[in-house]
Amino acid sequence: MIKIIDPVTSVELVCLIIAIFFLSKDKQSFWTITLAYLAFVCCTEYFGQYIGAKYKNNLWVYNVFVFFEAGFISYGLYNCFKKYINPKPIFLISSIIIYTTYFAVFIKNGVFAFNSITVSVMSVIFVLYCLYYYYLLLRDEHLLDITYHSEFWWLTAVLFFYFGSTTSNLFFGLFKSIKIGPYPLTYAIYILLNWILYGLWAYSFICRAKQRKLQS
Amino acid sequence: MQSQTTQIAILVGISTLIFLLMPVFLIFYIKISIKYRKNHILEKTAIKQKFESEMLQTRVEVQDQTMQSIATELHDNVGQLLSLTTLTLNSVNLNDGEKARNKIDNSLALVNKSIKELRELAKLLHGEQLVENGIGHAIDQEINWLNKAGSYKLKVNNQLIDLQITSPNKDLIILRLLQEIINNIIKHAQATYIQIDSHLADHILHLRVAENGIGFNPEEPKSKKSGMGLNSIYKRIEMINGKLILNSTPGEGTSISIEVPYP
Repeated sequence: MIKIIDPVTSVELVCLIIAIFFLSKDKQSFWTITLAYLAFVCCTEYFGQYIGAKYKNNLWVYNVFVFFEAGFISYGLYNCFKKYINPKPIFLISSIIIYTTYFAVFIKNGVFAFNSITVSVMSVIFVLYCLYYYYLLLRDEHLLDITYHSEFWWLTAVLFFYFGSTTSNLFFGLFKSIKIGPYPLTYAIYILLNWILYGLWAYSFICRAKQRKLQS
Repeated sequence: MQSQTTQIAILVGISTLIFLLMPVFLIFYIKISIKYRKNHILEKTAIKQKFESEMLQTRVEVQDQTMQSIATELHDNVGQLLSLTTLTLNSVNLNDGEKARNKIDNSLALVNKSIKELRELAKLLHGEQLVENGIGHAIDQEINWLNKAGSYKLKVNNQLIDLQITSPNKDLIILRLLQEIINNIIKHAQATYIQIDSHLADHILHLRVAENGIGFNPEEPKSKKSGMGLNSIYKRIEMINGKLILNSTPGEGTSISIEVPYP
């Protein structure tokens, strides 16, 4: 049975609504793609639920999603970095590492086993990128007001999500059996991380709208 | 088994929390760091603005001092000479050829003296640009005017005349400091003898002005805040990272030594 509102989908939906409200008029390709990605996230959640209800194993849906997630987050980070350095070489290398792992695990374990190794690899890479971005930000002569800096908060959300999920990714198989209330432990952590990720993204959209208003 | 599972769950929960706290600390660190750097930049800008404003003030004061000297000179010297010339020429009796010739010669001498004085004045007008020729020349010019007044016995040892290096901002401030010190001597010291020494050693410019005036208690002007001249001297000297040593005893005169890193 599909749940329209559950702890994860609700925050994703709220974030999508905020994105539609604040980003739909944005001309910059990154924010337009963000809006499309959020719509894709919501569709994936509901489709995943539908497949889960019908065929029991819906992991292949999330495996496909990981492919797009890695692409979108890499693109977002690339967008943040290009103000400071030429990020093409490092992002080309990281993309090769992530997608090679993805397809290698995919070939080895098949489509019905969750691709947690790729998620772990990309988590480590994204965390390192976020820390590198902070380093560039601190080294830069132009001092930003980070309180309302949309890209900073978008990237910070990514850092929270992927850094916070490190433990669950590493012990993914082990924690499925441990439950907190009605949810498995990994799912409870996943809910918390999603709230942080989409909450901070929603804030970054508001900052972006404010920034756009000031520029116009 | 159940307790082991609970322990693992607690461990995972705590480690996740720790992993989440790290970005929080990072955000705070970035925010504080940016705030600190912003404040530092603001402080630097304020110091720079203050320095520029002091420089402007110094330039205006040097100009004022020059104008005052010119006004005094015109009134006391050139004006008197020309008045005397007018009087002499008015009293010329053309019927008495010999006397008339003498008076006209006297008038000519007075006019020539006026021209010479005016030339000296013109030099003073260039005095503002004098610092461009070096601090040694500027000090020399200042001493010349003091000497012209004839009220003081002067002993001068200015070794900065042939100085090849310059520092326009510091030169202007040093010249102004010297003017301020001389002004204080003229106004308050009741001195009859002034000694001025200047030289450069180990990238430090030394300027010493000593006089045999009435002297004062060096602590008094600071505590009473009445010594505007001295306060201004202290402020300017700090601005160019210099040092001022003031020695004074009531009845025994005063000496002021200035040491400024140069150039």
